[in-house]
Amino acid sequence: MIVPRADIGRLVTETFSASLLYLTAFVVNFELILPIQNLFFPEYTSRASLLFLPHGVRVLAAWLMGWRSTLALLPGVFLAFFYVAGPEVFTPSRLAGIFIAVTIAPAAFEGLRLLGVNLAPRPGRMPCWICIMLVGLVASVAGSMLTNLAFGSAPVDYFAYVIGDMAGLFFLMLALMLVFRWMRRFGR
Amino acid sequence: MSEISKLTELRKLMLAMERSLGLEELSPAERDIFYAATELARETGNVQTTGLMEHALVANISRPTFFRALKSLVEKGYLSSCRNAGRGRYVVHARDD
Repeated sequence: MIVPRADIGRLVTETFSASLLYLTAFVVNFELILPIQNLFFPEYTSRASLLFLPHGVRVLAAWLMGWRSTLALLPGVFLAFFYVAGPEVFTPSRLAGIFIAVTIAPAAFEGLRLLGVNLAPRPGRMPCWICIMLVGLVASVAGSMLTNLAFGSAPVDYFAYVIGDMAGLFFLMLALMLVFRWMRRFGR
Repeated sequence: MSEISKLTELRKLMLAMERSLGLEELSPAERDIFYAATELARETGNVQTTGLMEHALVANISRPTFFRALKSLVEKGYLSSCRNAGRGRYVVHARDD
């Protein structure tokens, strides 16, 4: 089967932009948000972020690209895991974590589609942002359960992951909304 | 879906959020003109100033307010001038509900 050059080009562009956004969100999270979090909640010893922006990137990428987001996010997610774990990224639990991170959001959208609720963007239809937040919640709960299973984390981390994911998704969308408002105001 | 339409869909999503959070930035005149333009553009994809001024939603708006609001809608990115069809014709963006 010959894959048209335009499709390859599109996949490369998608992979580059989605992975770069994921990695940027992850680094901001790790280098900026987590230190601030530790400053304000020193008694909270878990490494889970309470404002996990990468979840927002995952959910929005899955909403826009569907299953293609799995491939598009893979390099970014792998590099993010490598950033934290170094060579231990190749341990089975980390590889499972990478797999969960890239598949959980498109799986949640696909699950809903099979149930008759298709949220995929379409011309001529206004998207439902609350629905996307709800899919984000489903993906987060499922992802947290599976991740905790893979890493054997403490139960408190389970709740921290969900809170962090939802706060991250909401704040990322809020930030995008403000960016688009600013672009409209300055005619970009 | 092309990269441009992905961006358009993302913009639409953020507009929906903006509206739900009560952060919408349109004046009543701008909103009426925008809704009228959306309705008129449904068939042809664009809208002409003269047709827009005759729409029932816009009929009570004075000429100066109409043109001020129209200019503001273009500046805010809700409408844009139709390059191929000359002056007085606009393309409606994003909000299809």
